[in-house]
Amino acid sequence: MARHVGIVGVGQTHHARRRTDVSQAGLVREAVDRALADAKLTIEDIDSVIVATGPVLFAAVNQPEKWVADAIGARLKPVVRVTSGGGTGLAGALTGYYQIAGGFAERVLVVAYDKLSEGALQYSISTLYDPFWGREFAVGIMGFSAAYWRARMDVLGHTEEAAAMVGVKNRKNAMKNPYAHVKKEITVEEVLNSRPLAWPIKLLDVPPISDGAAAVVLSSEKAAAQSTDRPAWIRGMGYFCEADNAAQRSMLVSEPLALAARRIYRAAGITNPRRQFDVVEVQEPYTCFELSYYESLGLCAPGEAAELISSGATQMDGDIPVNPSGGCAGANPIGAAGLIRLIEGAAQVMGKAGDIQIPNAKLALVQSGGGWANLRGVAVLSA
Amino acid sequence: MLAIPDSWAQDLTTFPSDLSMPYTLTPGRAAGTFVAEVKNRRIVGSRFASGTVVVPAQDFCPNTGDSDPELVEAPHTGTLNGFTQTDAGIIALIRIDGSDVDMTHRILGTALDGLKVGQRVEAVWGDGEGILAIEGFRIAANAPQGEIRPLEAPAKPVEQIPYRLDLHYEHAFGPYYGRLFDEIKTNRRIMGVRTSDGEGALLPPREIDDITHKPTGTWVELKQTGTVRAMSVIHLEFIGQTQPPPYIYAEIMLDGASTRLIHNVGGIDMSRAKELVKPGTRVRAVWREGERTGSLADISHFEVIDGEE
Repeated sequence: MARHVGIVGVGQTHHARRRTDVSQAGLVREAVDRALADAKLTIEDIDSVIVATGPVLFAAVNQPEKWVADAIGARLKPVVRVTSGGGTGLAGALTGYYQIAGGFAERVLVVAYDKLSEGALQYSISTLYDPFWGREFAVGIMGFSAAYWRARMDVLGHTEEAAAMVGVKNRKNAMKNPYAHVKKEITVEEVLNSRPLAWPIKLLDVPPISDGAAAVVLSSEKAAAQSTDRPAWIRGMGYFCEADNAAQRSMLVSEPLALAARRIYRAAGITNPRRQFDVVEVQEPYTCFELSYYESLGLCAPGEAAELISSGATQMDGDIPVNPSGGCAGANPIGAAGLIRLIEGAAQVMGKAGDIQIPNAKLALVQSGGGWANLRGVAVLSA
Repeated sequence: MLAIPDSWAQDLTTFPSDLSMPYTLTPGRAAGTFVAEVKNRRIVGSRFASGTVVVPAQDFCPNTGDSDPELVEAPHTGTLNGFTQTDAGIIALIRIDGSDVDMTHRILGTALDGLKVGQRVEAVWGDGEGILAIEGFRIAANAPQGEIRPLEAPAKPVEQIPYRLDLHYEHAFGPYYGRLFDEIKTNRRIMGVRTSDGEGALLPPREIDDITHKPTGTWVELKQTGTVRAMSVIHLEFIGQTQPPPYIYAEIMLDGASTRLIHNVGGIDMSRAKELVKPGTRVRAVWREGERTGSLADISHFEVIDGEE
């Protein structure tokens, strides 16, 4: 029987477009120091360290877990690096979760980061494509994401206006998030009139490129009390994949996300996600993805996402607030983004989300994903 | 049904791929100060609260993980702790006097058989960038023992260092990609393989069906017409882009295929791109004139077939 695992400490950097004052190692250290302080622990209390980063071409340091080892206290401890594209942060947390749930560690430090200011982002992402098949036509992940949003418009009604509302909501929420660095409210008209980058994706549908790091301390039930009397308990966490180029792959509803949600909801006793969850954090690389996730996560039926956003239900004061943190719209250090979503969900159920606290949040849903929409994961957290 | 391809390419060996990626790296305070000072012919190290000294300077102690070291000036002398001959000369581990760790650098002016662990060395200054402002170290039998000193009036740390990764790959085609691109180059045919149940065709062709995990079937020539499944209009400019915007990124299902092909839809008035090309638009491959490369770029683009839905 798997053991209970809780999040007992969280930390993130004040994310920025470009941090020239610290190296990648220094950036990670800031998040680690904050997470350990939050958990009232020192690095001596940590049994195992997970390092999660995006593709190494983002920042030109191969095998970065070696480079940051001194900074994160990994010396003479078990260390593994996990990478899984944009969902790396959640995949890193999942690795730590397994270690504790399986009884192999009491406390695990999970660190995730990317310093995207250092490299050529879309070019790096284009190298994720098969060199024989499509790379020469790749536009990072933006061309692809925009293309399937265009397809969802016709079938599911994910209009440009609906996506713009997601951007307006998330930018507004980011205003109160002390760690976000994009702090400017926008209007639906401004989104619609912003410069097309990969139409239908326009400039204001796109998150920033960020330097940032995040860290969490995961703990067994036995060891948790030393850190907090109110951990964020992980009720379920999973990360699922679909074949990249298989026959008849549907890109309209995210099949791996729907699968992950179904499995994890069952484990966590969720039968009506819209009613049961108090708060949701999703990793929305572009505004259009948040609409798709509403449907894949079962917050509404396929084809109802535009109605859900325009109803106001996913606003801070709605019945199912999505991204009180502002999501990726406020900061998007890709490798860290999934772990940041987990941190924001955990902070809500731990009651320490500050200005972005949803009152009495007891049950949080967290989504993350990466790798060409192939890889999607969810976590359910409870007070 | 055949479990192996009935023919494959004889001539296509490898597919060359070059990536040239620009970076601006951030060294952080300690290494940034080292880089700033080394061109002033000062070698900067870090002294941590525990007393550990690290040369060249680092932000974090390798023994304790301590941060925020005092930056110190290290001597230009040290001891040879190990060495090896490489194509680029002799590379050595050098323990600068007063440091607790080795640094890696070149040995100049002495052949391999003249070196012994424990020999005294001193820095030879050059005009290179970064750590190569020290050209290398030379044997200096009588070099006096140097000392770590406080760093007076340190320069502001260098915050960004330009860098470039030039990566050259030779990807093996293998029998499936090999035949696909051989046929594209030689016969202007687009070849897939049947799915394991024979219901559709997989493009690119492959040995194992992704859904059933069974061997795929026989080769099949696909039609050069298809349907746009998803599309976007690219206005973004980015490093590494292979064509100037605007253009249409499209995922196309060729008639008879069960999987998508990524290409561009062209030959239209781009100012009306979003009206003229949509999911469902019928398209046809247009082959490129001139030299054939044996890649998807031998198809210039897909053109819209008027009047079909």
